[in-house]
Amino acid sequence: MSTLAERAVARTPRRLALRFGGMSDRAIAWLFITPSVLLLLAVNIFPLLWTIQLSFTNYRANRPNAVLRYVGLDNYRDILTDPEVWQAMQATAHFVLWSIALELILGFGLALLINRGFRGHSFWTTIILLPMMLSPAVVGNFWTFLLQPQIGLFNSGIALVTGVDPSSFQMIGDVRLAPWSIIMVDTWMWTPYVMLICLAGLRSIPDYIYEAAEVDRASPLRQFWSITLPMVMPFVMLAILFRAIENFKMFDMVNLLTSGGPGSTTEVASITLKREAFEKWRTGYSSALAIILFVTVFGAANIYVKALNRVKQR
Amino acid sequence: MAEVALLDVGKSYGAVEAVRGLSLSVAHGEFVVLLGPTGAGKTTTLRLIAGLERPDQGHVVIQGRDVTREVPAERDVAFVFQQYSLYPHLTVYDNLAFPLRSPARRVDEKTIRRRVQQISELLHIEHKLGNRATALSGGEMQRVAIGRALVREPSVYLMDEPLSSLDAKLRAELRLELKRIQRELGTTILYVTHDQIEAMTMADRIGVMSEGALIQLGTPREIYERPNSAYVAGRLGTPVINLIPARLLGGPVPPQVETVGLRTEHIRISTADGPGPRAQVHWVEHLGDQNHVHLKLATHSLVTLADPVQPLKAGDQVSLEFESPLYFDQAGRRISADGLRGHA
Repeated sequence: MSTLAERAVARTPRRLALRFGGMSDRAIAWLFITPSVLLLLAVNIFPLLWTIQLSFTNYRANRPNAVLRYVGLDNYRDILTDPEVWQAMQATAHFVLWSIALELILGFGLALLINRGFRGHSFWTTIILLPMMLSPAVVGNFWTFLLQPQIGLFNSGIALVTGVDPSSFQMIGDVRLAPWSIIMVDTWMWTPYVMLICLAGLRSIPDYIYEAAEVDRASPLRQFWSITLPMVMPFVMLAILFRAIENFKMFDMVNLLTSGGPGSTTEVASITLKREAFEKWRTGYSSALAIILFVTVFGAANIYVKALNRVKQR
Repeated sequence: MAEVALLDVGKSYGAVEAVRGLSLSVAHGEFVVLLGPTGAGKTTTLRLIAGLERPDQGHVVIQGRDVTREVPAERDVAFVFQQYSLYPHLTVYDNLAFPLRSPARRVDEKTIRRRVQQISELLHIEHKLGNRATALSGGEMQRVAIGRALVREPSVYLMDEPLSSLDAKLRAELRLELKRIQRELGTTILYVTHDQIEAMTMADRIGVMSEGALIQLGTPREIYERPNSAYVAGRLGTPVINLIPARLLGGPVPPQVETVGLRTEHIRISTADGPGPRAQVHWVEHLGDQNHVHLKLATHSLVTLADPVQPLKAGDQVSLEFESPLYFDQAGRRISADGLRGHA
């Protein structure tokens, strides 16, 4: 009889044994994690620190040879008093709140339907999941065509149903409709994702709880309120968290669909950031904006995760 | 009057016959235990009565009313599941109050409070009423689950191995409590278990099930002393009854006896030379208050209990004496000592 460790040692190739033989477990552990740590430092931590440093300067990336001047908190002050930034924040909030609300209602509803397990439900699940599997860039391009007022399918479809002239309105070009266009496309793309998470939650509720409730004479509505909803809640909150983080930094799809227009009606924070950084080349200023966005999302996510844990503990 | 009656009920899942031709009636205030191994159809029987399953054939009658086509809410039953089926986000109080708050029942909050208080005292969980259901130990959770059945006054309580997920000590404790509560409240209980001790200690009558059929129904004593088959005899008694071919034992046996069933109390071991068949002690298990003795009788092994003071050790030659053992024919049916096919 030999222990598992002894057998593992016996089966290690001789050359490998020679190479690692003299090292302690701790040294081997360090050897294995060092590449990942270095990579993380190089692509995550270092740029973050660099950005923080730049945010206190007047640096412009298109004029690398200009004199670098430290401006203290000036960038931050300028940002927080800039009405354009506040407008972008409002556009972002509008986009995040409405897209999540719609995705939740539709996703949860679809999950409830799929969870009933009708014939062919797995086929329909796959079909429903398709939009989520596309690249946001592809989705953005598709929908630019779909929403095109003269030849787009969307306008023709609306015209077919309501009878209005298809070229009488434009989703992307209209100041009032443009924000709703991006909400609609995001909802189309990410509702399946929310549905998937809700479905996982619904599947995690054991049947016997419903059976007990049935014997206890609880109506379907009461079963929903006192069993389904509370037990799926942690999953729903997780879906909200993921979607909120994603949509707060939404860039690709909006950039392709509206590029922030018309005017600045759909200019969400990340579009503003891109304009400041790579069109106006105000690198220091945009670094400060990036830090503000990062702290906002990070802080909000932390508070939210605490709330989520409280719900889960119940 | 029968509180619950099953009339020739059958239920299949695909090709599997879970319950077949089952007829059973439980009288008012009676504690009936269905005993059998996994897959014998015990749980399906309970679910059929509760209305969680629809029978393929036969009728379910509760308090003289045919409820075969009714949904669970319309039948007046309470069900305790094997798993703790508590509503996890509710407090113990709200869990207990849940069935009473059904709009169909219209019980006012004052009555609810009184009932919940009463039941929680009965189950010794009154100090836990404010706790969340998930912040309880396994034993407390199952008490709450039982309590949730008890707050209602249904015509019958259906319990599906409610104690099986608890540890041995708690199981023994709750077993006594459950029997006490049943006696105090005079409730009708149909209880499913594979634990023979639960069956023997709590039941007014035991129904032994195998492969979807009810094989024998009787008082614990009847089932133990006069089992109608070798199968039923094997369900009760520890160590398990020894089934030995009659020809090995010699001595006079009734005609047609193929197998002799020997329980501990049927066997006497003596170290002195006796007239009975001789056996060899294979090994002895010491359990403290008693010894399990494994004997070799020709090609067969026998397990019996022995007094720990009796000095037996492996390799000893002993002679056996038998006192009124059980006799079974070729098909496993019991034959009484006077040679008649006995039915309990």
